[in-house]
Amino acid sequence: MFKNYLKIAWRNIFHHKAYAAINIVGLALGIAACLLILQYVNYELGFDRQHARKENIYRVIQDRYDNGKLSTQWAAGAYAVGSAFKEAFPEIDDYVRLNQAGSQVLRRGNDLIKLENPYFASSSFFKIFSFPLVKGDPATALKEPFTVALSETLAKKLFGSVDVLGKELKVTGDRIYKVTAVYKDMPSQSHMHFEALFSFASFVQLIGPDNNPDNAWNWDGCLTYLLLKPGTDPKKLEKKFMAVVTQKNGESLKQYNADVKYYLQPLTDIHLYSNRMLEAGANGDGKTTYLLMGIAFFVVLIAWINYINLATARAISRAKEVGIRKAVGSQRSQLIGQFLFESALLNAMAVALAFVIILAVVPLFNRLTGQSISIGQLGGGMFWLNFLLLYIAGSFISGIYPALVLSSFKPIVVLKGKLVHTTQGSYLRKGLVVLQFAASLFLLIGTLAVSKQIRYMKKQELGMNIDQTLVIKKPIVVTDSTFLNQLTSFKNSLEGQSGIQKASSSTSVPGEPVGWNAGGIRLLSQPENVAKQYRVIGVDYDYVDMFDLKVKAGRNFSRDFGEKKGVIFNESAANQIGFTKPEDAIGKDIFFWGDTLRIVGVVHNFHQQSLRDAFEPLILRLFPDVRGYISLKVHAADVKGSITKVEKEWNRFFPGNTFEYFFLDEHFNSQYKSDQQFGLVFGIFTTMAIFVACMGLFGLASFTTLQKTKEIGIRKVLGASVNSILKALYQEFAWLILVAFVIATPIAWFAINKWLEGYAFRMRPDTITFVLPLLVILLVALITVSYQTIKAALANPVHSLRTE
Amino acid sequence: MIKITNLEKYYRTEEVETVALNKLSFEVKEGEFVAVMGPSGCGKSTLLNILGLLDDPDAGSFLFNGIEVAKFNERKRADLRKHNIGFVFQSFNLIDELTVFENVELPLIYTGVKASERKKIVEEVLDKMVIMHRRNHYPQQLSGGQQQRVAVARAVVNNPKLILADEPTGNLDSSNGNEVMQLLTDLNEQGTTIIMVTHSEHDARYSHRVIRMLDGQTVMENIMI
Repeated sequence: MFKNYLKIAWRNIFHHKAYAAINIVGLALGIAACLLILQYVNYELGFDRQHARKENIYRVIQDRYDNGKLSTQWAAGAYAVGSAFKEAFPEIDDYVRLNQAGSQVLRRGNDLIKLENPYFASSSFFKIFSFPLVKGDPATALKEPFTVALSETLAKKLFGSVDVLGKELKVTGDRIYKVTAVYKDMPSQSHMHFEALFSFASFVQLIGPDNNPDNAWNWDGCLTYLLLKPGTDPKKLEKKFMAVVTQKNGESLKQYNADVKYYLQPLTDIHLYSNRMLEAGANGDGKTTYLLMGIAFFVVLIAWINYINLATARAISRAKEVGIRKAVGSQRSQLIGQFLFESALLNAMAVALAFVIILAVVPLFNRLTGQSISIGQLGGGMFWLNFLLLYIAGSFISGIYPALVLSSFKPIVVLKGKLVHTTQGSYLRKGLVVLQFAASLFLLIGTLAVSKQIRYMKKQELGMNIDQTLVIKKPIVVTDSTFLNQLTSFKNSLEGQSGIQKASSSTSVPGEPVGWNAGGIRLLSQPENVAKQYRVIGVDYDYVDMFDLKVKAGRNFSRDFGEKKGVIFNESAANQIGFTKPEDAIGKDIFFWGDTLRIVGVVHNFHQQSLRDAFEPLILRLFPDVRGYISLKVHAADVKGSITKVEKEWNRFFPGNTFEYFFLDEHFNSQYKSDQQFGLVFGIFTTMAIFVACMGLFGLASFTTLQKTKEIGIRKVLGASVNSILKALYQEFAWLILVAFVIATPIAWFAINKWLEGYAFRMRPDTITFVLPLLVILLVALITVSYQTIKAALANPVHSLRTE
Repeated sequence: MIKITNLEKYYRTEEVETVALNKLSFEVKEGEFVAVMGPSGCGKSTLLNILGLLDDPDAGSFLFNGIEVAKFNERKRADLRKHNIGFVFQSFNLIDELTVFENVELPLIYTGVKASERKKIVEEVLDKMVIMHRRNHYPQQLSGGQQQRVAVARAVVNNPKLILADEPTGNLDSSNGNEVMQLLTDLNEQGTTIIMVTHSEHDARYSHRVIRMLDGQTVMENIMI
């Protein structure tokens, strides 16, 4: 029986090549797009799942409140949290502390190697996380002060081997660390990527005995992970945290009218659902991931609809066969089986082609999405499972309706050639076409909205000038106590160089989060309990001038006044501290961590970060000799020459330090890289969806015009012009697209607004955002159906009428 | 073999009801060759469809080998059909995507005959129909007469008790038509009951009996000598 099914299916494909090609190519594109996106989604969903006790590992995150209002959200919290919670709650099996080790360099002979993202980690790190050790004992690896665990790659880079236990390393400042472990490189699907881990005991020694982390409730910088005992309800446990926090730090919080709430974040949620201050690294975006999943579904759905539409539209040509089979004894169930088999065969060809397409486009896909999916990963279980599921679902979903329709034909009707297309079938096909185009319109409107938002963000006035700005990273190796003087001299030496207009030092530059978050700040005249948190940038005298910040009230810092303890507020900060008029803030003194500082000016709000983020209350605090980034305004005419000069001076002032620089406008715009990638991927898959939908439309147009051959002939005989016939045919398709537009627009409007909620500064979706995609789809669809309709309209009516 | 009594069939549209069979009654004995004649629209094709279990009557009785089949469901009808009835159509109704051999083989597939046995049976029938040399050709590669021979081969391959032929020579020239009629006569002589709808007096002469119909009723029966 199956041999017979196979034979007839194969011969049908062979005899109707165009129809088969539309189906196979459409399905293959849909399946390939869907599988690629699912692979990406699986990759994103698979983070941090390599740890044996992942279900019981949680990160302690904190939300900080000022006067009852949420002010900041942190991945890292107070250092004391881990030990205090472990002591208070028996549900906690163990905890691990992680603390950024900042910029560190290792010496290898005369060479300096800069470490990528080094951290201090407490000794339970390798007990809680399943990062396998190549060398060393997980129980003791990070126990002693001044010990270090190296990644396998770093160990090989430094020593050419992994047999390095006991070897010593000179770290920044010539501190000696002993290697106690070598771990396998952390996998790409991990939210942690540490090249080296120094023991937390080293950190404790470095900060000195007066700063016991177990009592540190007011430093926010420690990533704390808890290993809960199996069966612990994390929601119940986190409810108990407040009591401990109040007991240990309640007084201090009350003093500043502040509040901190701690939560437990599942380890496996971190990558997709966490974008907090002091993350261990850049995380993914769950919303984007699920949006892409939606696109994948749309593309494959459009391809399935093509199959359903084409199969039912050409039912007439299969009707005789159905009649004969029934007449010679076939049951309806056998015919359903046969047509499902055909669908399975076409889908099998489509998945095979899809696999070839995937192999060909994986490198491009990786480049577009910034992923690192390898051909090897495609062989993974999840890929094949998705592959199989798509195949089975596709065969069934696309095949079942045509199978039911075809198998329902009455032999006496079809064998007499009396089969006519039912209104019901025609409505269904039209409905499906509407669904396809509604999906395509939705995707196209989405693509346009994403691209408009990116353009909007890039074109907005930032409130500062970052053009022609070269930024040099601060030197890591400080050789002696004259460092500050050296930095000032270096800066001064550059200002004298031709090609360099301005120079300034600061702790942060635009385009990145401000790392310094200071709480407890208030006007000197205010009580302690109204103190609030502010983001702070340490700047020199030239910062405001360097970036053309617009002073709204007061003045810039000035060497002429000999001031060393001034601050400049942005408008948000002035507002937060209590001034509705910026000029009222000028000359007022503030309390800043025990210091009294004077507000000398208020600048207009400027975009320190991308337009995703709202303006934050920001203080520019004057440190004449601030150590940090050095920003240089260079002449456009000779940028290359300027860089050479700067590098020469750098090597003179800071020998042994790597010269690292970047251009600030590129650095700032790199914040939009993920948005651009998303926009590009969205655009590509939308184009693919429209292409597949148009392939289906082309096929459908062939059948509908064929059905109308007689009608067109009669109309022409009765005097209809080619134009009027074309108009009538086009109108039919245009109506379908207009209905699709009516369906897609409100859904797209809602989705766009939901997506834009993630941006503090956003464009307003205008009429063009919706109408332009409609016009594009209309044009593309009309071009698609033109070949068939023009051919039908121009045909000689004598031939048309002969089709009767 | 066949006994129909007061058989009725109506075709309804939203506005009109047409009577296709009006209390039609007759009997066909095993081994008979009966021709059904009448003007277009008299109900002869409807009758053939009901006899072939491709359609069901609205009222009346239809006994096939003594079993009432008028109310059989789709599955039972298909089952009875594939074991007992062969069809020959005016327009041949061969499946274009299958070869001569495969077209003839089709009923055997549905009756579950093994592949090796199918081959033997089909070859025998093709031999008998003198179409063996065309076994691997597709229907479009054959003449009308050859196509109808294939259709007859397919109708008899299951060795049915009854062959229903709907204007079997309607699309053929006289020479090919005569050949097909001879084939049917031979089959009848070997014991197969044949009911044939025809407009042709010439073809009707091959039968034993002619039933003449008008407006869904029998108006005359002629015994052919």
